Amino acid sequence: MSYTLQYGQIWPYLPFLLDGALLSLQIAFLAFCGGLFIGTLGAAGKTFGGPIVKRLINVYVVFLTNTPQLVQIYFLYFALPDVGILLSSYVAVLIGMTLNAGAYLTEIQRAGFESVRQTEMEAAETLGFSRAQQIRYVIMPHVARVLFPPLSNHYILMTLGTSMAAIFGVEELTGRAFNVNAETFRSIEVFSVTALMYIVITVAATAILAVIGRVLLRARMRII
Amino acid sequence: MPRLDIVDLKAAYGSLTVLDGITVSVGSGKVLGLIGPSGSGKSTILRVLVGLLKPAAGRVLLDDVEVRYSNAGDVKRVRDQLAIVFQQYNLFQNMNVLDNVTIAPVKIRGRSRGEVEQDARELLAKVGLADKLKSYPDELSGGQQQRVAIARALALKPEILLLDEITAALDPELVSEVLDTIRVLASEGMTMLIVSHEMGFIREVSSKVAFMADGKVVEMGAPAQIFDAPSEERTRDFVSKILRH
Repeated sequence: MSYTLQYGQIWPYLPFLLDGALLSLQIAFLAFCGGLFIGTLGAAGKTFGGPIVKRLINVYVVFLTNTPQLVQIYFLYFALPDVGILLSSYVAVLIGMTLNAGAYLTEIQRAGFESVRQTEMEAAETLGFSRAQQIRYVIMPHVARVLFPPLSNHYILMTLGTSMAAIFGVEELTGRAFNVNAETFRSIEVFSVTALMYIVITVAATAILAVIGRVLLRARMRII
Repeated sequence: MPRLDIVDLKAAYGSLTVLDGITVSVGSGKVLGLIGPSGSGKSTILRVLVGLLKPAAGRVLLDDVEVRYSNAGDVKRVRDQLAIVFQQYNLFQNMNVLDNVTIAPVKIRGRSRGEVEQDARELLAKVGLADKLKSYPDELSGGQQQRVAIARALALKPEILLLDEITAALDPELVSEVLDTIRVLASEGMTMLIVSHEMGFIREVSSKVAFMADGKVVEMGAPAQIFDAPSEERTRDFVSKILRH
């Protein structure tokens, strides 16, 4: 059993793969932003909303965090057409990942909202801060600092999770790796290079986020 | 000249009455010490004064003008003139020492940053923290944090300072550094209401001491009278228990 590694054969495909990696980053970024928006509303609803609002958000969170993300996207892509809603694979993946992220980020952010120290709010109040000033100067900086590390982690997880899109034929990094593999049959070379690209992307993102978190928010984050 | 009169003040947490007709007053440059067992309502008086708990009945007069706690303007006025320091310091964890002290004067009162910072540096030097301006609360000891909290309260130039068991959460060896700061303030003529279990300290700095139990003032008088010759059985009991060790 001998195998000669021939990375030379897949060099020409490198720009093609890098292009796919950009699409991966795009999906992760858009889904994360959408999820952050949903999560902020969800966390606000769970913290300040009435019982019905809380119940509805709970149903959403429980369903989306207790079913596989793959099944969720399958549902959007294969089940919705039966009721006349036809989504492209890219859109189905994007919506699926956004909704999934929204559920997780609701829970993460709710914990952040709840960690605001009542005592600091009282101090602010007696110093003469209005409610809006309390939110601006005490709550927001605290919540940002507490939430930045777990949100960063989730963003990294989502970046890796975008590889699921390959199953639906989206030509992001994993999808393109499939294609290159099918053309060259150099599986070891193709998938090792692909894995390396994911590592570079996530390690770089982790380091950048940690620097931002530490410098701007004094968040306790390790830079690699 | 600052003067605070509390007349027949009542307050409750839900159905639990915590202040049951309190009448005390403190004049300009005087220090009123509030002592008594836990749950007697000492801290609640301070919380009512700064508008954290609405009184159920009674009157509070600040410089002979009644404070209506249901009126936002009155609450603002009272918070302009009274400053409180809490047991747990309650510093803003996301701000360094200098920002903790300057934020209210700059953002809330709209004073110029340069002038406020100058004041803040002097105040922080006075409480012995001139070298900690850029430190964050979680980098400081409890005693240092509490001294920052005192500087923060003083930065608003309050007429009356309220101290709510400010050494109760401190390690014993850190208590004196905080009390020394208050001694200086007392000697400079700061009007204060002090809730504390540090009896020796209360006796030393107070012009008048009120012993409280069950939401009432049981006995009030000069420190020597309260500690050496209490006339009420309840006071005698408390003082003998607390001074025995």
